[in-house]
Amino acid sequence: MNEPKLRELLREVPVPGAEEAERRGFAVVAAAFAERQAAGVRGTSGRRRAARSRTPPRRLALALALAALAAALILSPAGASVRHWVGEVFSDKVPPRVRPGLARTPGGGRLLVASAAGPWVVQPDGSRRLLGDYEEATWSPRGLFVAAVSGRTLSAVEPDGTPHWSLTAPGRVSDPHWSPSRFRIAYRAGSQLRVAFADGSSDRAIAAGTAPVSPAWMPLGVAELAYVDSHGRLRIAESETGRGLASVAALPGVDEIEWGGHGEVLLESSPAAVRVRRLRSAKLALEVEIEPGRRLPLPAGAGVRDAALSPDGRTVAVLLSTPLASIAGGPRTRSTVLLFGPDGPSRRLLTVPGDLSELAFSPDGGRLLVAWPEADEWLFLPLGRSKGEAVGNVARAFAPGQRAAEFPRVEGWCCRAR
Amino acid sequence: MGAESGAIERVEWNGPIPARRERQLVKEAQRGSEQALADLYAAHWRRAHRAAYLIVQDAAAAEDVAQDAFLAAIGALDRFDRRRPFGPWLHRIVANRAIDWARREALRRRVDAIEESEARPPEGIGEDLMEALAELPADQRAAVVLRYLLEYSPGEIAEMLELPRGTVNSRLRRALDRLGELLEAER
Repeated sequence: MNEPKLRELLREVPVPGAEEAERRGFAVVAAAFAERQAAGVRGTSGRRRAARSRTPPRRLALALALAALAAALILSPAGASVRHWVGEVFSDKVPPRVRPGLARTPGGGRLLVASAAGPWVVQPDGSRRLLGDYEEATWSPRGLFVAAVSGRTLSAVEPDGTPHWSLTAPGRVSDPHWSPSRFRIAYRAGSQLRVAFADGSSDRAIAAGTAPVSPAWMPLGVAELAYVDSHGRLRIAESETGRGLASVAALPGVDEIEWGGHGEVLLESSPAAVRVRRLRSAKLALEVEIEPGRRLPLPAGAGVRDAALSPDGRTVAVLLSTPLASIAGGPRTRSTVLLFGPDGPSRRLLTVPGDLSELAFSPDGGRLLVAWPEADEWLFLPLGRSKGEAVGNVARAFAPGQRAAEFPRVEGWCCRAR
Repeated sequence: MGAESGAIERVEWNGPIPARRERQLVKEAQRGSEQALADLYAAHWRRAHRAAYLIVQDAAAAEDVAQDAFLAAIGALDRFDRRRPFGPWLHRIVANRAIDWARREALRRRVDAIEESEARPPEGIGEDLMEALAELPADQRAAVVLRYLLEYSPGEIAEMLELPRGTVNSRLRRALDRLGELLEAER
């Protein structure tokens, strides 16, 4: 092969779509650069820049970069969807291709989804059944039943909607949670924490004056409940008697707790912070020690939209929302999903402009469902390197026959093999 | 794009820029200058993109690889040693990612006929060369592209791909021989 000829040919081979690729690439690179600047770069020079990065010109740069990105979106070739390019700007895991409807649940399992009309059970093949006019719902541990709430009534219904029993509580029922042992259901009635047998009998209060936070059962089926009282203390109580086993000051503003792993991990999250506590239980005595654990390091300026603990308790997923400089027609926030291992640093799973609303781990802990109301999608993202899947037209799927539909809320993803 | 963003003026460069000017641009980009970033992009995108395309043989993948390389470069900008040229640093990322991509694709052997046809260049210019390049293993394609498109010496290529120099030389020799055979056969 003649080398000069080869050089000439290599320079002359047309690269399909080269100009468009260059424009898109520039938008992507400029936006990433602006994001880096806005976040404050690392290193010595980075620290010097960090303070300046909050100044209006820096925010303006980010805004303009996003405007450039918006222009690139318009210039995208046919078939390249807006969300694809938006995702590519910021994500480690690119938002996957969208399937137009929920034809199956990626990763398997069944979903419990709350809509304006009530809770729906979504089967692995994507078929859906509205359970009835209930406000909240939660799976039983094996998914044989759903505990559903309406006003002062707590009911157990089968996934096909067949009711089994109901009880009337002394106050408005909220936050039902079925015990891993299958034999108890905890819930809040007004500000009381109550526990009933799973057949609807023996309903009783075990604590008064609780904060509006869903209680969490000890995951191994032991009769212990964690809850937050109205004075902001995180308490663990024996669920048969209400006897206190431990208490510490809860994370200020805590609005969600999860108890995971083999009972050694407890997650607290608030709009501003996430804490992972370690718990120690004495084997032969009903005593629990709540250790301070660690507050997860979150980026400055980011608010916590949601946090979730994987079923094995080893991974915490945190959904963050960061305000962006306001530009006409541009996103006002940026949403990021971070994954934290047991003790290690965080890993970014996904970042998109706009608002993501919630997270849910799959029963095996291998995937995260991330709700993206603005795109009307659920993203099913594997925690590893493999590509995820996206399901579109979510809101309409749970409001058939309606023109305007609210984006639904995922109440649970069932069920972990035991 | 500059007119659309209002913030960054694009400079049209088609080839390498003087080393001193490049060092200055990297320094300014490290300090946060969007204009410096735009200039670096203008100076390097086309060759990086073309190199990626010649190695991966797929337009969409080449765009991904080139973007990915620039994003990686931005992510590591603060650690970049300004005494060294930016281009080889970027091209090293491009070449290695393109090789990884091409190897993965070869392993998967899941070529979609429609996408493949869309990814091919228009018939005519360079079609024979692309078909001949496609016959080479990805690491030989990368060696050819680094040597004859980006004009690196075998020693520099060896450093970029973390290979012995002799290996690079033998890959280049085999690649040239094979390309010669294939292109002759086309005539």
